[in-house]
This record gives sequence, C-alpha cells and structure tokens, in this order.
Amino acid sequence: MSETEEVKAFYKEKHIAFVVDQDSHRSFEYWLSEHLRMNGLYWGVVSLVIMNALEDALPQNEVIDYILSCWDEKTGGFGAFPKHDAHILSTTSALQVLKIYDNELQVLGEEKKEQTAQFIKGLQLSDGSFQGDRFGEVDTRFIYTAMLSLSLLDELTIEITDPAIKFVMACQNFDGAFGMLPGAESHAAQVFTCIGALAVTDNLHLLDDDTKLGNWLSERQVLPSGGLNGRPEKLPDVCYSWWVLSSLAILKKKHWIDLQKLEDFILECQDSKDGGIGDRPDNQTDIYHTCFGIAGLSLIDFEKYNFKEIDPIYCMPTEVTKKFRKWKK
Amino acid sequence: MQHGIKRVSLSAEAKRLKLEKDKSKIAHYKQLTENIFSLRNLQTYTVESLKETTQILQINPEFYTMWNYRREIFEHLKNNIPVEDYAQLMDNDLKMLMVILKRFPKVYWIWNHRRWCLFELVKINRVDWQYEYAVVSKLLELDSRNYHGWQYRRFVVQNMQIQATTKAAPASKNEESLVVLGINIEEFKYTTSKINKNFSNFSAWHNRSTLIPKIYNLYLQLEAPSEKSPDVYDIFKSPRSILTHELELIKTGMYMDSEDTSIWLYMWWLLTEKFFTDELRKEDGAYLAVLEEQLANVEELNELEKSDHIYHWDNCWCLKTIILVKGLIQQEHVKTNKSSALLTQDIKNHIQALIEIDPLRKGKYLDQLEGKASIIPIL
Repeated sequence: MSETEEVKAFYKEKHIAFVVDQDSHRSFEYWLSEHLRMNGLYWGVVSLVIMNALEDALPQNEVIDYILSCWDEKTGGFGAFPKHDAHILSTTSALQVLKIYDNELQVLGEEKKEQTAQFIKGLQLSDGSFQGDRFGEVDTRFIYTAMLSLSLLDELTIEITDPAIKFVMACQNFDGAFGMLPGAESHAAQVFTCIGALAVTDNLHLLDDDTKLGNWLSERQVLPSGGLNGRPEKLPDVCYSWWVLSSLAILKKKHWIDLQKLEDFILECQDSKDGGIGDRPDNQTDIYHTCFGIAGLSLIDFEKYNFKEIDPIYCMPTEVTKKFRKWKK
Repeated sequence: MQHGIKRVSLSAEAKRLKLEKDKSKIAHYKQLTENIFSLRNLQTYTVESLKETTQILQINPEFYTMWNYRREIFEHLKNNIPVEDYAQLMDNDLKMLMVILKRFPKVYWIWNHRRWCLFELVKINRVDWQYEYAVVSKLLELDSRNYHGWQYRRFVVQNMQIQATTKAAPASKNEESLVVLGINIEEFKYTTSKINKNFSNFSAWHNRSTLIPKIYNLYLQLEAPSEKSPDVYDIFKSPRSILTHELELIKTGMYMDSEDTSIWLYMWWLLTEKFFTDELRKEDGAYLAVLEEQLANVEELNELEKSDHIYHWDNCWCLKTIILVKGLIQQEHVKTNKSSALLTQDIKNHIQALIEIDPLRKGKYLDQLEGKASIIPIL
C-alpha cells in the first residue's frame, strides 16, 4: 500500500444514469418489485435531487402522473403501484416526492389532501401507535411515517402526537436505543424512526440525557471497514450510513464517529462501472442503498460533493423542509 | 433491496439471454396478477380465488395487496362455511406460511399475515400457541439473531400469558401467577441456552434484561415461592442474588472474548439499573463494594490483554468499562461528599488513552474531557 491514502472518486454521472435506468430494467425481478415502486420512486428522486440532477434527469409531469395513478380512492391513501392497496409507507413516499416538487401540494387539491390526512389519522390505535393499513401490523416505523405525512399535510395536532410519542418513548431500551415495539430489541433503523418522530413533533426534549443513545449509535461504527451496523455484533451496511448518522445528526453528535472512514466505506460500495451503491463493497447495487449512500454523503459533507444539504429528520433537501408549517392551524 | 448478494456484472449477451429466459416467467406472473385483480374487481371471494393468491404469494410474498385480498376472501368465506372448515383454512395458511418463512425469514408481510391468522383462530377458540412457540424456536435455530423471529417469540409468549390468565373459569391469583411465572422461567432458560451457544447473541441478552425484573416480581406474588422451580428461585430470591449470578455469568464470557460488545453492554446494565442499585443502596457500602469488585475483575482482565498486545495497549472494552465503573464509584463519593468532581485526573488519563486505541469515537471522548458529555450516561 502506498503511503498516501488513495482518494476515492464519486461516480455522479453513473449514479444518475443508474437511477434513471431503473425504470427501463425489464427483468423478472423488476416485475416482482411493483410493491416497492412508490418507495423506489422516492429513493430515486431523493438521490437525484441531492445530486442536483432532478430537473434534467426525470420529467416532472411523468413522476406526478405516476403518483396520482397510485391514488386509492377506496381508502384515501396511496398504493405502491396502480391498483395496489394504499399503505402508510407508500403514502408517505408519495407525499414526500410531491412535496419536493411543490410545497403547497397543489396537484392533490384540497379534497384529496383532506382524504389522505383522514386515511392516516384513521390508522392510529387507542394506545397511540399506528398500524400500516387496516390489517393490524404495528411498528414504530408507522408512527414515524404517520407523523411525517401529517406534517407534510400541515395536519399535526397534539391530540394525535401526544399519545403517539408516549408510545415511542415506551420503546426505549436499557441501552438507550429504541426497538420496533415496547420490549423489542434496539435497532438502528428503529432508532431513526423514533428519534425522527420526536423531532418532527418537536419533542426531542423528552430525551433528558441523550448520551447513552449517542453512545449506542457511535458504537455502530466498526472496523476495519469504517461502516456502520444496525445492531451489536452485526455486519456493516450502507443503509445504516443514513439510519445511524441521521440520528446522530438530529442529536447534534455527528462528530461522535469517524466521518472520513464512513465516507470511504460508502464510496467503496459504489459500482464504478455501472453506477449505483450496494450494501457492502462488491455487492449488488440497488436504488435503496444508492439513495441512503448519497443521503449519507450529503450529511457528511454536502459542499464537498456539490450536493444539496439534506435534512436528517425528513431525508429531503433542507431547502424544501425549511418551508414546512407542520402543525394544523 | 439487495442484502449480502455479490455483484455480478453481466455482459450484454448474458443480459439478453436472461431477459429471453425471463420472458415466459414474466408473462405468467403478469397474467396471474391481472387475473387476480379482475377477480377482486368482481368481488370474487371463493376457494378458487384463494388458490390464485396462493400461487402469486409463493412467487412474491412481498406483494402486500395480494395478502390483503386473501384476507378479504377469508373474511367473506368465514360467514358461509362451518367453523371447523374455517379453522382448517387457517391451519392450512399457517402451514403455507411456515414454508414461505423459511425462504423469506425477513419479510414483514409474511409475519404479519401469520399474526392475523392466529387472531382469527383466537376468535373461534381454536388457537394453539404452544405450536407457535415450537415454530418460532425452530425458526430461531436457523438464524439466532433474526429480529422478526425474536419479536414474534415475544408476541407468542405474551399471548400464552394472556390465554393463561383469561380462562373461562377464573383460577386463583396464585395459580395464575404460577402459570405465567412458568412461561417466563422457560423464556429465561431459553436465553441462557442461546447465550451458552453464543455469547455474542445480543438478542438473547436483551430479552434476558426484560425478563429478570418480571420474574422477580412474579415470584413476589407467590404464596410459596421456593416451591416453584427451586433452582431458579435460588437465583431470583433478591435483586442482589440475581446480580451476583449474572455477574458471574458474564465473567466467563468476558474471558472468552473480550471484544464482544454484547457482554459489556449487559454488564453496564447490571451495574447501573435501578432494579439492582436501589436494592444495593439500602445497605451501607454494598453498591460500592460491588463496583470495586467488578473494577478489580476488569482491571485484571485488562492486564492479561495488555500482556498479549504487541504494544501493550489497554483492551478497548476493558478500558471503556473501567472508565464507567470508576465514574460510578466517583459518583458515590460525590454523593457522600468524599469527593467534589466526577472527572478525576485518573479518569481523564483513561479517556486520553481511549482516544489512541479507539480513534473512531475520538469526538465523543473529547466531549467527555470537556465536560460536554457524561462519562456515566443515564437513561
């Protein structure tokens, strides 16, 4: 090895092509992923907008038409694909993309906005938690997406947020981190959803002392890769560059890990030939890891890459999120 | 989302061949999807339509809309067939789900449908939680850290307890506590066996931490606690006896693999959790004595590790623990006015050393040195 560290390149143009090409893959696997298409669209749009490439790469009207075609009029939410049922996950992704294009969500119109808000509010259970749809799956992911979606619609009220946040706090464990339900093991992605829910609803003060949580998060960085894992004694994965680092950023503790090493790890996971980012070096790339790798790089040093700055709470550009009103008037 | 799959770069020719090969699979899949959507559109809720959804879900268990349609079919069939037949349908689904789960153990939608089926069986009084308990044990054999698997296990155990306490003829309070305690003791033993198999199974340590106060409190409710699983009762007589037992357990693990984070995290819990410390504080000097003893143990291990290291470096986790325990001791001294500051020069020196051997987290250690972050984090 040479004395000086090799500086790794970021393959911007290849990543843009990789994201844009997503929709031209027509393999069997593509057809099997319809249920993730709305999330995929969000991951693609965020990747592009952060790289300052959204306008040129994707035709806005086609994106918006697609989203509107996934509207599920029976329930008032969005599905992942036309004819698919509405779910809180695809609804959140749909709103996030629309919001990136227009803070006032004019394409939705007042009636649909109202119906979407009702769809989400209707998923709250008596213990404050949220189910993903009417079939009863409960998870702190759905509290985060509910809080996020309602804030995008300016529909947050303390009648909704107080019980939801009470549930979130019941998911905190002895190690300071959070799980998917009360009593569930701590997991970095669940930490993000819980801290995110607290942050969206202006409740971060409920973490009296966040040192323990910060500690747990910083211990997610492992050697020799410098990547982050999601739980103790697990392998590192690029997506935790987002779940862990955004949580640390929300707690103002990004400097508790070695950002240079993490940056190197993310860059190492790029496919230098065909673009895209995978979970670990030399692994298969996909739009999910591409998005969270790029989002991670934006959190580490957006100026260096000539990126847009990303908001760690929303995983959307700060120039978009700074306009949010969040609370119902 | 691709996880843990090596990248393969296909040549243009290989790509073309794959697409060619995919064609018939795609056509079949699209045809199936279209059929099902039109059946649903026509509000078809028959055993035949059920079979169609089985077909597609076996190919793609993440197609959540298909699970939804499947449940709609069940909701309609339920009103039109004898209860035994409905129970049979649910049992068939549980069997099918088991096969799919073995192939896709991390798909949320499958676990969720299994839960839904079980609650359907609860409604008609045909649920067999014991069977589920066996199922989840088997799945955790395949992957002892599966996040969904552990959550499912807690869900099953919770429902076994609910069932035990909501019988038609109410048993005595003591009898109920006995059953619930028995279930929790089984779980405790299960974590012991998982830990003995692999000390770094943090999922097991986590569960253990939630079971301990629970089992202790259940014993308290018994009329004759020493008669229920006497070997376990020996451990659970008091928070003190539990602590002694657990500290002994982790000592073995520490020596086996001092780099394993699970054991250290669990130790930190033992030494800071109110359940234990409140009890120790009732006796003058007891908490300090435990801390001093643990400090001596870890220092001893650290010396061993140092002599093994080419540069005689401290062991990272030993040092982190030494800082925490010294901090806790110092905190006791501050409380009794024997000392005024938490951050002694000795502790500062340790933190300086940590910056050298654990540079990833340098920023945190600097915050601690500057008093911006606590060395003994509380919840």
